[in-house]
Amino acid sequence: MKDDPIALVLDDLLKLDDILACMVARRNMISVMPSGDGFKPEVNNIWDSIHRAMDSVFGVIGEYSQIGLGEMEFRLQDHEVLFYVFPDTENALVAIVPALANKGLLEVELENARREILKIMENPKNESNSQKKDDEVYVTA
Amino acid sequence: MESKVEAVVGMSRKWDAREAGREVAETAIKGLARPPDFFLLFSTIHYEKYGGFQEFLSGVWDVLPKDTPLVGGTVTGFMNNYGCFSRGASALAVSYPCMDVAVGVGKNTKRNPNRAAKQCTDMIQNSLKESPYKNKFLLNFISGPVVPSILGVGQKKYIRSGFVSKFAMQALSLSQALVQKGLGREDEIFEETVKQLPDYQMILGTSMDDHRGMQNYQFFNDKILTNAVVNLGLATDLDLDVCTTHGMKETNLHFTITKLGAKNHAICKINDTPAVPELLRLLNWPEGFLTEETMMHTILYYPISLKRNGRAVPVVMPLIMKDSIVVPCIIDDGEVSILTVSGKDLINAVKENLHFFDEIQPEFGLFSACMTILQTLGDKTNIVQEELCKYFKDKSFLLFYSAGEGTYSPTKDITYANMSFNTAVFGHKASMNSNSFSYFNEKGKSLQDNILTEGGSKFV
Repeated sequence: MKDDPIALVLDDLLKLDDILACMVARRNMISVMPSGDGFKPEVNNIWDSIHRAMDSVFGVIGEYSQIGLGEMEFRLQDHEVLFYVFPDTENALVAIVPALANKGLLEVELENARREILKIMENPKNESNSQKKDDEVYVTA
Repeated sequence: MESKVEAVVGMSRKWDAREAGREVAETAIKGLARPPDFFLLFSTIHYEKYGGFQEFLSGVWDVLPKDTPLVGGTVTGFMNNYGCFSRGASALAVSYPCMDVAVGVGKNTKRNPNRAAKQCTDMIQNSLKESPYKNKFLLNFISGPVVPSILGVGQKKYIRSGFVSKFAMQALSLSQALVQKGLGREDEIFEETVKQLPDYQMILGTSMDDHRGMQNYQFFNDKILTNAVVNLGLATDLDLDVCTTHGMKETNLHFTITKLGAKNHAICKINDTPAVPELLRLLNWPEGFLTEETMMHTILYYPISLKRNGRAVPVVMPLIMKDSIVVPCIIDDGEVSILTVSGKDLINAVKENLHFFDEIQPEFGLFSACMTILQTLGDKTNIVQEELCKYFKDKSFLLFYSAGEGTYSPTKDITYANMSFNTAVFGHKASMNSNSFSYFNEKGKSLQDNILTEGGSKFV
């Protein structure tokens, strides 16, 4: 949704060349997508496989986030999928990047985005009226 | 008259170049009660595609008072009191009555580094030679390396096969001389700068893009430059000191450089055999392991300890040209160690560095650090930021990420390194006896009489 502050954070991330897709998600559900036209076309061919693999990873996140699981990542073909877990939840900021991307620089901005989204989640009165709670479905892929 | 240091960090995360320029200047200026005496400005490369750097700088000058000395340029990332960022812009604005400021510029750094250094230092020397303040500092900020442009190949970090590879070293020289794409030669500029201004304490940094090495820009007042050196010179009664640390450790892998090339910028033979195959053998890497795509993720994490005029110079290996390894600085032949460093070592190097300044009550700090540290630590870079915040508390600091950095002081000589952390802290030495103070101003007043009695440094 266009005035969703979390979507605006994702829009900023998606402007970085090597972020091919980003979202706030949990198992079987994508809570927030970027507000524009969606992901970059480079992920179209591999999205289905990545999405299935993401669900398996979210199973692990669900089990261990309460005891401090912070990040996870996996590589599938020529892409890497990075998970920045929101503490004590089963939700994560997820980003898809090319396998040989300059990950260090991207990680800096992904961590900044995670912190910003956490602030938004912790201060719901600053959210737009149209935003739903983060465990409700915004978009289901 | 009571002295008062005002040092404020400004920042913008806007995408539009003009808006970002305005915001970074506004957020710095609004924290100052007096106009700034200088304005240090750094931004990441992203504004190249979102309006361009002339628009960015115009935005800054929409806000900044006319004639404010301004230097800076593009960097891989930056860190300040607000956090760590690989996109955006940040500035340090300082106002202090007991400080004289000069800025300088030199051009064509990759083609004629000594001349560029001399042009720049002459401007500083001419402006500050009559200054009554005896504590001198220089920020030496130089256009960093750009991947050489080789006819028939383009801009590549790794050239080992094909017809062009036979002439790779000659092609590198041509690229350097004709189109100024190649090594930054910041070590040569730094050495010449030290030679010209030996009584200055200095910090060296280089201008970069987002680690790709395709282009970088320098800012000098209202101008956008390439292949330039820009200097900020200060003469002040503030105490100041500089320090370099890196945390790298020797492994048990050693070799001997037996042949140098490219005016001592390239290792052509190791142990009397072609350098690249021998290096691969020592590291137990198969032929084909290193490619254009894997370079950034592999060899940059195997720094080597070289020698230059008897000094240890730890560097990364950024370019492979046929069987030669191109290094970022001029080196001597002889024994070399392969180094290793962990994330924990890097963070300990930061702590050790800050510990050096335990006796200074800081007013503000300026840092240059290697962009490979940012790449290595990634999101854990926030641990470094937390250490800096612990040291500086409510005082401002600004760190920019470079490719080629170092420090110089008259008592410690030159340190040039990659993968290093370089600090300049300005403030007041904690102990008040005459052994601690190195400066009395011309009127015979001790520094103690000028010490701040209230906090004058703020950040937004």
